[in-house]
Amino acid sequence: MPWYSEGPLTRLGDLAGAALDDVSRVRKGWHWSSPRPHTWPEQGAVVPPPPSDLGWARVEPVRSIRWLIQRALLLPFTEVMVHPKVEGREWVKQLKRPAIFAANHSSHADTSLILYSLTDAARDRTVVAAAADYWFKHPVLGNVVSLFLNTFPFSRTGGAQGQLHSSSELLKSGWNLVLFPEGSRSPDGRIQEFKPGVGFLARETGAPVVPLHIQGAFQVMPRHQRLPVPYPVRVRIGRPMTPEPKEDTRTFTARVEKAVRTLEAEPRKTELQGTWIERWRASTPRELRYGDAR
Amino acid sequence: MPRPGAVIEVDRNTPPVLYHFGEGIRLEKLPLGARIIYPPDPLEPIAHPERAIKRALAKPLEDDPLKSLLRRGMKLTIAFDDLSLPLPPMAAPDVRQLVMEEVIDMAAEAGIEDLHIIAALGLHRRMTEDELRHIVGDRIFTTFHPDRLYQHDGEDPENNVYIGKTSAGEDVTLNRRAAESDLVIYVNLTLVPMDGGHKSMSTGLASYRGIRAHHNVKTLLGSRSYMNPPDSALHHSCIRQGQLIEDTVRVFHIETTVNNHAFPAIANFMQKRETDWTAQDQAMFLATKQMTDIAPPAFKRNVFHAMRAPYGLTAVHAGQVDAVHDKTLDAVNRQIAVRVEGQTDIVTIGVPYLGPYNVNAPMNPVLVLCMGAGYLFNFYRNKPVLRKGGVLILTHPTRYEFDAVQHPSYIDFYDEVLSDTKDPAEIESKYELRFAEDPWFRQLYRKSHAYHGAHPFYALYWAAHAMEHAGDIIIVGGDREVVHHLGLKCATTLEDAFEMAEQTVGRYPSVTHLRTPPIMLCEVE
Repeated sequence: MPWYSEGPLTRLGDLAGAALDDVSRVRKGWHWSSPRPHTWPEQGAVVPPPPSDLGWARVEPVRSIRWLIQRALLLPFTEVMVHPKVEGREWVKQLKRPAIFAANHSSHADTSLILYSLTDAARDRTVVAAAADYWFKHPVLGNVVSLFLNTFPFSRTGGAQGQLHSSSELLKSGWNLVLFPEGSRSPDGRIQEFKPGVGFLARETGAPVVPLHIQGAFQVMPRHQRLPVPYPVRVRIGRPMTPEPKEDTRTFTARVEKAVRTLEAEPRKTELQGTWIERWRASTPRELRYGDAR
Repeated sequence: MPRPGAVIEVDRNTPPVLYHFGEGIRLEKLPLGARIIYPPDPLEPIAHPERAIKRALAKPLEDDPLKSLLRRGMKLTIAFDDLSLPLPPMAAPDVRQLVMEEVIDMAAEAGIEDLHIIAALGLHRRMTEDELRHIVGDRIFTTFHPDRLYQHDGEDPENNVYIGKTSAGEDVTLNRRAAESDLVIYVNLTLVPMDGGHKSMSTGLASYRGIRAHHNVKTLLGSRSYMNPPDSALHHSCIRQGQLIEDTVRVFHIETTVNNHAFPAIANFMQKRETDWTAQDQAMFLATKQMTDIAPPAFKRNVFHAMRAPYGLTAVHAGQVDAVHDKTLDAVNRQIAVRVEGQTDIVTIGVPYLGPYNVNAPMNPVLVLCMGAGYLFNFYRNKPVLRKGGVLILTHPTRYEFDAVQHPSYIDFYDEVLSDTKDPAEIESKYELRFAEDPWFRQLYRKSHAYHGAHPFYALYWAAHAMEHAGDIIIVGGDREVVHHLGLKCATTLEDAFEMAEQTVGRYPSVTHLRTPPIMLCEVE
């Protein structure tokens, strides 16, 4: 065997040479400035346009960086600190379309706990609505939080229609949305009244709302506490809900609130037995991907 | 409006063309005057698939509405195609899931308690639970698996019945549960014209005894091509068997077709014609090419096999098998047919990473031959794009690489049988039965996730027509020893392959490149 073959440096050189060849072939292969020859088929949109992007935090390479940060830091830290017990993750697995995760809000730890509770696939496609007047008051802080948690500014004070519109655009372009319908952290750990934005979004986009209840986060990091303390946490995920055809926004919001409150108390159901017909009827039908086909 | 397929002649402005190279890609410059054949653009999918499925079931072709066929107390079986199609696997939800959910809703409404769902996999490997779940969806899987949702076993002596002989003397066997049902509903996905029709039942739910009647060298050499059912002896045989099955059991067929949107957004450039590439497509090509050049094969395989195709449903028909299949073939041809004038001396094809028999496994050398010289070569109607005695050039790394779980019989076939002879007829007469009846291969087929012992023979028979028709078959970039073991020639570069081909077809040969996938069917005039 010749001395120069199969060595790592030779291999590296070969790879670099091949890469340069590829670049040169691509550069010389297409003549953008010359007219398109008439023998070519007409140009066409062979593939559908990509879904709309609404921010730098949701495009590559930021997504990959966040993926790394979350897996290397956020999720292990959450696990070590509070050992969250997650119930009902199967509802997330069954989601076939973007959904709104609506949870009670008592702590800054809530977002990490929700992200921890989701499946990997759902987490990577999830944006978090963060208070614009709090998190985005200082641009650097807002951007850093966006990098870590994929947040976007959500106004609590004015221009709500515009914010709801951008949220619905995100849902329509394939992102799950984490919302805290109470609007701000609970001062005492108890669930506050839900604001109707969640119902509005569900009605406008047809996205299912997944109710979540987080128990114990208030003890981990309540308002005015700067650092978290260990405390057992339970995250319970409920069955996805969609508004009835004639149900108005506020009624649906009230139903979501009731679902979250029920999760706070409800014990888990055991698996259903019986004939296949009973099991079939008790299972969740697939969300229609293309609108109502009935 | 999607564009039809196109044939372009290479001139000085024509960009280089993409070649699939197993789990890799290449960009090659073709000689001036060569032709590149592109498949049609993906057809617009049906906007409301669920609605279309309901309509098809309510107004079937030459049959009663499905609802009127279902009654309490009946024995109902739903059979469906396995994971060998579509390729790549479809992004969830799979159209078979959509159809089966509608059918099951109707069965529940009718109060049918005796319902079984069978994956009609013929002699293919058993699917893993995850693969099965992907096809049928979570709801069906959790409701029916494992006692009422299971996979056909073509070697189970208790659960296969002999139906009889056709007028041409072909044995017909059928899954016992299907044979004893009051109604069988077959849910099919037709990606290419070879699929569907009578072939679904007569192959998918049959045993080795029934399948060998048409999966043999004589029948496949008499199929010109098996991608065009009217000219295919394989399909004529399946029709004879299917008619006998229809006399035995009431069958209601549901066939679906999808468009050829085979690549997800990240691999858009593979879907597009090079004449339409943008700077972004070029960048994606370069990034993918560098990744596939550097990454180890196992890593590349994981990345490629994780791709799910965003296929869209283009047609769904239900009812009597022949009426349904005619409509299905029309829909498939609308999507994949390209008119091509005349044959050429040389045809080049890039062999991709995936074929029907290596989902979640490497494409072993026998399957490379099956895919390139079998399936891809046979995508024609009237006559092959390659003239008789011409040279077929394939690009694929063709390594000595086998999946011991999925393809155990392929390993022995390659090492033992191909070492002895490459002649399909001799191989068939000398070795097929021994492999088919080998107790270890039979055990692995029944209990593990292995293809049947006879399957590597079928893979070779698929390619028999091309091996007979072509003067030479050259694999560019293949492992020299492996390619020679297959009985083919090996070249390092495409330019070398053209030089070698000139020894066979003479100077200044005419060249055609089939830019596939996405799939296309050349209608050669």
